[in-house]
Amino acid sequence: MFGNMFRRISFRTKGDETSKPMAQVDFLKDFLSKHNYVFSKDFQENLGILKKKHLVDSFIVTNFDGSIIVASENSSHSEGIMGTAMLSYIKSEIPDSDTVLIKRENNWFMLFTLEKKVFIVEAGSELSNIELKALALELSILLEENKLVLREKQVMRE
Amino acid sequence: MSITIAIASGKGGTGKTTLTANIGICLSKLGKKVLLIDADVAMANLSLILGMQSSPITLHDVLLGEAQVHDSIYDGPQGVHFIPSGLSLDNYKRVDSERLSSVVRELEDNYDYILLDAAAGIEKNVLSAFSASQETLLITMPTSPAIADALKTKLVAQRLGSKVIGVVINFVMGEKGEINKQEVASILELPIYGSVPYDSEVRKSFMQQKVAPVSIRKPDAISSQEFMKIASRLTGLKVQDTIVEKKSFFSKLISKFRR
Repeated sequence: MFGNMFRRISFRTKGDETSKPMAQVDFLKDFLSKHNYVFSKDFQENLGILKKKHLVDSFIVTNFDGSIIVASENSSHSEGIMGTAMLSYIKSEIPDSDTVLIKRENNWFMLFTLEKKVFIVEAGSELSNIELKALALELSILLEENKLVLREKQVMRE
Repeated sequence: MSITIAIASGKGGTGKTTLTANIGICLSKLGKKVLLIDADVAMANLSLILGMQSSPITLHDVLLGEAQVHDSIYDGPQGVHFIPSGLSLDNYKRVDSERLSSVVRELEDNYDYILLDAAAGIEKNVLSAFSASQETLLITMPTSPAIADALKTKLVAQRLGSKVIGVVINFVMGEKGEINKQEVASILELPIYGSVPYDSEVRKSFMQQKVAPVSIRKPDAISSQEFMKIASRLTGLKVQDTIVEKKSFFSKLISKFRR
């Protein structure tokens, strides 16, 4: 009887049978290094970093006339014009519309305006307005920084 | 101008709401003007932890455009102000959580700290909390699944422009298999704001006729002391770490007989 009781108490009090899952700790330690989004001095490279960070396949920024300000891919001219035309048509029909989402085959295209620019974003799943605005704001900062760099280079040349 | 902090974890059940309520109360004890917002519009329960479940106007009404934000603010314990989320499922479906940022902007001049209790996961409601806050404080448990979710949450918060300031480890029991403080800091690449020991007083706080957070019901409890340290760190005060000691066989045995 006493033996049983002692065994039960001993199990309840001493029962730390745990040990640290070191393989998992090492795996987790490596996680952030695979998601390191540090911008470089190369503007085109930074566009690629932005794509990865915001989980999108491509993006185009145009003026309201469809002329391209920046595109993450090289062959985006026609998509830029088409997207801008489509957005301006929808805005004329539904003036208080915010974001237009189009699903084509397996991809989503999201069209919206911010700071007098049209953003066309392509991704595997639909992004919320919050995510789209976060991408657009970061992209706008990159564009401004690049503009300054280009201006400095021009001054140096002159 | 206030500091707006989202309390988030990714994983459910890590103690986000308990942390939000208790550090809000502790900040108030430190003389700060504090507003707590239950930003978990789907699974709201901050009002239950504060013992304020019967609030007629909620964040749901504000986000639906059916009430003014000032009408949804209630006086909570220890002088904190509080905006509850509705418990109704019907309204939750209609709520546009993306408007949370504008609600916060409207109030930020009136408080020193606005704490947003974010939902679990990384879905739209959580994104709204990150987007509405300048800073994010993560909370996790000393186990690998909770830390993995905290890692993803950190990345999402950063993507949305919220600065992740640190992490709180909750339910620390000092077991051999727990991932220790240094390792959590190294994995998440974040400073540790606090290490809250497992404390049955926290659980007991929900099991009272009049529910009140542990920092009010038992201010001397080990968890209450750690919540105060976390609040102090948030204000920039330097405080000593709490060491959770692994109990010896005999001290465990004695504590069993004391029960």
